[in-house]
Amino acid sequence: MNVNVTINDKAEQRDVEPSVTLLEFVRDVLGLKGTKEYCHSGVCGACTVLMDGNAISACSTLAVQADGHDLLTVEGLGTPDDMHPIQQAFVDNFGLQCGYCTPGMVLLTKSLLDENPQPTREEIIRYMGSNICRCTGYAGILASVEAVVAQRGK
Amino acid sequence: MCAAEKPRVTRLIGQSMPTLEAADKATGRVEYMGDLTVPNMTHAKIVRSPFAHARITSIDASAARALPGVVCVFTRDELLADDDMETLYGFVYRDVPVVATDKVRHEGDIVAVVVAETENIAEEAVELVDVDYEELPSVMSVDAALEDGAIHVHDDFFPIAPELRPRAGTNICHEAQISKGDIVQGFAEADFIYEDSYSAPPVQHCALDRHAVIVDYEGDEITVWTNCQSPFPLQREIKRIFNKDARVIVPYVGGGFGSKSRDRIEVVITGAAKLAKRPVRYIMTQEETFQTFIRPAYQSWIKTGVKKDGTIVARHHVFTVDVGAYAISGARSANNTLKVATGPYNIPNAVVDCYAVYTNKPPSAPYRGLPTTQHTMSYETQLDRIAKDLGIDRLELRRMNLAREGDIHLTGDWLRNAHTHECLDQVTEAIGWDKPLAPSADGKIVRGRGVASTIKYTLTPPREMSENSAEVALGEDGIFEARFGTVNMGQGSDTTMAQITGDALGVGLDLLRLVHSDTGLTPVDSSTTASRSTYHMGNALVDASDKLKEQILAAAAPMLEQSADKLTMGDEGVTVDGDPGNGLSFDEIVRRNGGPFAAMGECVVGGTWKAPDGKEYPIASTFWTFASCAAEVEVDTETGLVRLVSAAASATTGTAINPHSIETQLEGGVGQEMGPTLFEQMVWSDEGQLMNPTLMDYPLPTMQTMPHYEPRFVEHPFDGGPFGAKGMGEIGAVIVPGAVLNAVNDATGVMFHEVPLLPYKVLEALDSRAGSEA
Repeated sequence: MNVNVTINDKAEQRDVEPSVTLLEFVRDVLGLKGTKEYCHSGVCGACTVLMDGNAISACSTLAVQADGHDLLTVEGLGTPDDMHPIQQAFVDNFGLQCGYCTPGMVLLTKSLLDENPQPTREEIIRYMGSNICRCTGYAGILASVEAVVAQRGK
Repeated sequence: MCAAEKPRVTRLIGQSMPTLEAADKATGRVEYMGDLTVPNMTHAKIVRSPFAHARITSIDASAARALPGVVCVFTRDELLADDDMETLYGFVYRDVPVVATDKVRHEGDIVAVVVAETENIAEEAVELVDVDYEELPSVMSVDAALEDGAIHVHDDFFPIAPELRPRAGTNICHEAQISKGDIVQGFAEADFIYEDSYSAPPVQHCALDRHAVIVDYEGDEITVWTNCQSPFPLQREIKRIFNKDARVIVPYVGGGFGSKSRDRIEVVITGAAKLAKRPVRYIMTQEETFQTFIRPAYQSWIKTGVKKDGTIVARHHVFTVDVGAYAISGARSANNTLKVATGPYNIPNAVVDCYAVYTNKPPSAPYRGLPTTQHTMSYETQLDRIAKDLGIDRLELRRMNLAREGDIHLTGDWLRNAHTHECLDQVTEAIGWDKPLAPSADGKIVRGRGVASTIKYTLTPPREMSENSAEVALGEDGIFEARFGTVNMGQGSDTTMAQITGDALGVGLDLLRLVHSDTGLTPVDSSTTASRSTYHMGNALVDASDKLKEQILAAAAPMLEQSADKLTMGDEGVTVDGDPGNGLSFDEIVRRNGGPFAAMGECVVGGTWKAPDGKEYPIASTFWTFASCAAEVEVDTETGLVRLVSAAASATTGTAINPHSIETQLEGGVGQEMGPTLFEQMVWSDEGQLMNPTLMDYPLPTMQTMPHYEPRFVEHPFDGGPFGAKGMGEIGAVIVPGAVLNAVNDATGVMFHEVPLLPYKVLEALDSRAGSEA
């Protein structure tokens, strides 16, 4: 089936099997390996991407469901030399250790802050609670999100 | 001694800096195993046993082989037909078949590997491999495995490590004892004796980066890319099994926590790659990781004799560890923790007995300090019971028994860097121990606080040896390259090593390039486990840097017409002391030298230690890490839900190389271990099938369960460590269950002897307490 998407501001068109997940589409078809896989059941959030600005689990979405939609993956957010403020905050606030959950976490943060630019700590915790990190115990991640919020509030 | 003792300038050490790779990770540019590909690569899937224990009566892979796109199927037939392939492997026991031969010993045991052009074809072909099993009775717990007449998981034992002692004709693959003083006498002197039993079920590490491997068998050497934490032992093992040189390359690893400390898939995929004659990639599913390595079930019984004033005079501690079907790591981890089972206390008379037992569960692996964590839970909760019974303050009871510098440990070691009291003081202050707890508005929520203290060892050879080496080189571009085997799995090892190497050389990070964990490029290192890398690899890098510096200064001396002791190395190159304008850049020195410089360094450990009293003492652990935790909990008496509200953790780290990184390691350890303390556990059916193999039914800590953290550390430089540093990667986890159980007891008056504190168990306990009070 034909899948047309705008991904990281670039139009892409591919012919894929209907069973191909959005995660496979992003990683294997388009070669964007920044999006990660762990549980493959929509629980851990390592595969979080933004579709029309909303955070979704790419492992639990079919590529064809993304047809006609706008996608953002970690590659579209910033580069090591020109990081998005959210990515910079994760670096500065020790919001990552092994880094495997980080692409999903930074995209989840973007989705949160686009929806709610000045969230309270409770709102951050409820929203960010949907993704799993095994290294940080979440303190550095919370500090990173709060740093972005504080920066924007200025 | 590893490090040369001379005054050093530290510019990088002591700085809290994000990891060098943080920007690459935050932007998704770091490649993990699952992101790597090699040309002409094929894809493997594994046929796994559905039974916990069965005899394989037949394997028919003909339909799978006939499927278009299938390259080959590797089964026992190919293994046994190949005279150039050993059948069994393993680091401490040679008990793991490369691929199942006669029997399968746990659900998920490896029966065959299907190699195909795509993962989908391989997955389809797995279904076409026809395996007939004759199901056998299984033993799914240590108790069942120790019963008279229990089936034997293994008929024969093949111990490799000399310290391991199986008991023939049983499932006990290792038993050992350690003792100090005379416990008969000790218990005779005691005014009171306490006996308690404790247990903890298996859990899974859930490192998000699943185990994966790529093997290219062709060429002069076998090339293995893997996320294993022990590349060098793996390289030796592959070379032994296949009688061919091997190179093991480990990229960035997305979390290990012990789950990748030993290999389980590398050898069998190498066998498949030999057959395929093409590179083979295999990536586990999350469910398969649950069948590969788990944290083992633990049980303990401890008996403690105390005087009326609270002085502990005797301790007998017996523990069992369920190593699962293969003793890959479990037996040795259990044995190692004999050294710390009595805790950070000065107990004159003690005996510890350890039993490592085979069952039909998946093989066990270390998990951030296991089973020191469970020992700590046992002795710390019993201490609270003793304190309450004797009417002694909980902190006071600990303070009077905590070991101090120079006390003789259970192992005979003269304890060094034993700042136990400072750790305890730091955490109680941080949590506000003396402040009143928030009152319960409606009586439903009750609150309490608890503490726990611990002592942790690191892997230590029984005799003097160098098991760690590193190389530092200066190349034509004037950049220093540090080559070391430590696996970067998120703990910040590259950054730590860069800080140490930079300060040892006297140069900044801009002049440093790092090469990590590649047996083809980095010198030998035993493993990235047991909080050992900062100390061991740090020392090897200091040694290499010192030697390299000496070489460079000796070469620069004639170029600058000065003696080497009048020269200094820095960011500008080598300059003449007192005449900073007079110097040479590093690239210029290399050019005039006619080639680059390189030096090897090592860290020699083991042997004995000469104490201030002039006597030689054993070194059962190269360094000891001491730590304390104070926890505050809320218990909902209507639902039984326990919430960890706040956790303070402190450890003796020696010199803090990267202070905030240490704090985040402590937070991560506490945050991880709260899961197995409060809600994580793996559950098997009586027949041996795992009932909760996915995250749908295996909950993990999230930001919503996160406590407030108060990380601390006690920074007294440790003589012998690189710039005085010790290891601390695991310790944050080790101290959690004991502190939480004590806090729950403080809140409710109920002392639990097991984890996790599932709400229904808490409610049952509260109800039965209410019943007994009525």
